[in-house]
Amino acid sequence: MAASSSTSSSRRADNGLGGGGGQQQQQQTAGSRRRKGPGALATAYLVLYNVVMTAGWLVIAVGLVRAYIAKGSYHNLYYSIEKPLKFFQTGALLEILHCAIGIVPSSVVLTAFQVMSRVFLTWAVTHSVKEVQTEDSVLLFVVAWTVTEIIRYSFYTFSLLNHLPYLIKWARYTLFIVLYPMGVSGELLTIYAALPFVRQSGLYSISLPNKYNFSFDYYTFLILTMISYIPSKYITLLNPSTLEIQVYLKAIYNVCKSLCKIPT
Amino acid sequence: MKYYEVEILDGKTREKLCFLDKVEPNATVAEIKNLFHKNHPQWYPARQSLRLDPKGKSLKDEDILQNLPVGTTATIYFRDLGAQISWVTVFLTEYAGPLLIYLLFYFRVPFIYGRKYDFTSSKYSVVHLACICHSFHYIKRLLETLFVHRFSHGTMPLRNIFKNCTYYWGFAAWMAYYINHPLYTPPAYGHEQVKLALILFLFCQVGNFSIHIALRNLRPAGSKTRKIPYPTKNPFTWLFLFISCPNYTYEVGSWIGFAIMTQCLPVALFSLVGFIQMTIWAKGKHRSYLKEFRDYPPLRSPIIPFLL
Repeated sequence: MAASSSTSSSRRADNGLGGGGGQQQQQQTAGSRRRKGPGALATAYLVLYNVVMTAGWLVIAVGLVRAYIAKGSYHNLYYSIEKPLKFFQTGALLEILHCAIGIVPSSVVLTAFQVMSRVFLTWAVTHSVKEVQTEDSVLLFVVAWTVTEIIRYSFYTFSLLNHLPYLIKWARYTLFIVLYPMGVSGELLTIYAALPFVRQSGLYSISLPNKYNFSFDYYTFLILTMISYIPSKYITLLNPSTLEIQVYLKAIYNVCKSLCKIPT
Repeated sequence: MKYYEVEILDGKTREKLCFLDKVEPNATVAEIKNLFHKNHPQWYPARQSLRLDPKGKSLKDEDILQNLPVGTTATIYFRDLGAQISWVTVFLTEYAGPLLIYLLFYFRVPFIYGRKYDFTSSKYSVVHLACICHSFHYIKRLLETLFVHRFSHGTMPLRNIFKNCTYYWGFAAWMAYYINHPLYTPPAYGHEQVKLALILFLFCQVGNFSIHIALRNLRPAGSKTRKIPYPTKNPFTWLFLFISCPNYTYEVGSWIGFAIMTQCLPVALFSLVGFIQMTIWAKGKHRSYLKEFRDYPPLRSPIIPFLL
């Protein structure tokens, strides 16, 4: 989920001027050709939003590192960053609004899917099923999200200010090779770990008979969610017209190339 | 008589696909499509979209060559619309599915509710009434497709049938599962609620049928002409005073009636989704009416009087 947004942006960047890329970059190039950009006030707001979000995820990163040093163990680090994680991940909901009102030119549906799936994992799985909070898989996706988001939000911030350091651009288009599978496996393992507890407690489930003549089985829903990871991940990588997979493979190729050069 | 030359290029690649010399000036676009089809048997006329500008609007079948803004050598761009399927086939498959699927649940065929309920019957009369209403609705739709509707377009893209069938069949199964469930809870306000819902349902069914008849009478058999629909002697069509697409209003009304009758949340959701979809269609139709007819009644709104 983390990297799916970065792949789509990297595709746009390669289609555009071959330069900075990303949401805001595309917006500027499109703006000069067609409509006006987001306007001064909207840009100022977006800069503020992205700065706050970068700072927020930095807080989470620092919190993780400090807790790790203090404890000397990577188990149960979730509790040390629970509150800022919930706060800033929920704050990502504003991104849907940004797309909806048009100050960010990405697809509302796609953004909503990406953000909602993360908010779902934060609240409806990790927060709701207390038993999984001690699982290491939680840390796996939390770390993946944290690194991805620090890079992504600072990328947007610098792009909006028209000063994108090469390091951030590079990080954004390279690190997701690692962060992406890391995030997905962390998320899947966490949902999987939650399954027996959900079945046992009947959490969020509605059973017949009731006066609405409707039933809902959260356990089945979670299994369907896990299954939906396969096509949706596959589609975000392949669509549209296999460009994204090309970008992904190119990024892997570039990394391999640079790694091979080191010995020679 | 002076003949026209027509060259047909691929709309995307600009590759020359076909050259027709000696085309009669009064040839229609439909005739050109037939000529093109002879050259390229894989693209039957319904698949073809012919345009003067590669990104422009498609030419209508009844447009005449000499009336088009072209010289004696016309360049026409071709776009493949993909495999097509007739509207009638699509409608029949879409509607036959829910009718049969609902009955499978109604008769509680094996492997749905557990063995001890196989082929049993609900003790609530509302369940039987709901089955009659649901079947009636879809039989009405099937008969209307066969004998009432006159379609302005003969075909639609093949992939639509998969999309539409998933929607109709899926929702039908979901609703039928709960309504016919052995643990079904009957309406909270009993017979009064069922009676009121039935009246609303039947009223809207008659209204919907009246509108379909009125629309049919607007278009003579075999033609593609478009006219403004107006209220007729039938009071059910008087909604045309305020709305462009009262057939959708009645359709939504029917489903609300069915939802109240069964007191089933999935039915309410189906009504809501249907309402959103029909509002989109109604807005499109309303817009095209406004564009096509200068004297279109200004009082009308797409689907809900004065509101939407």
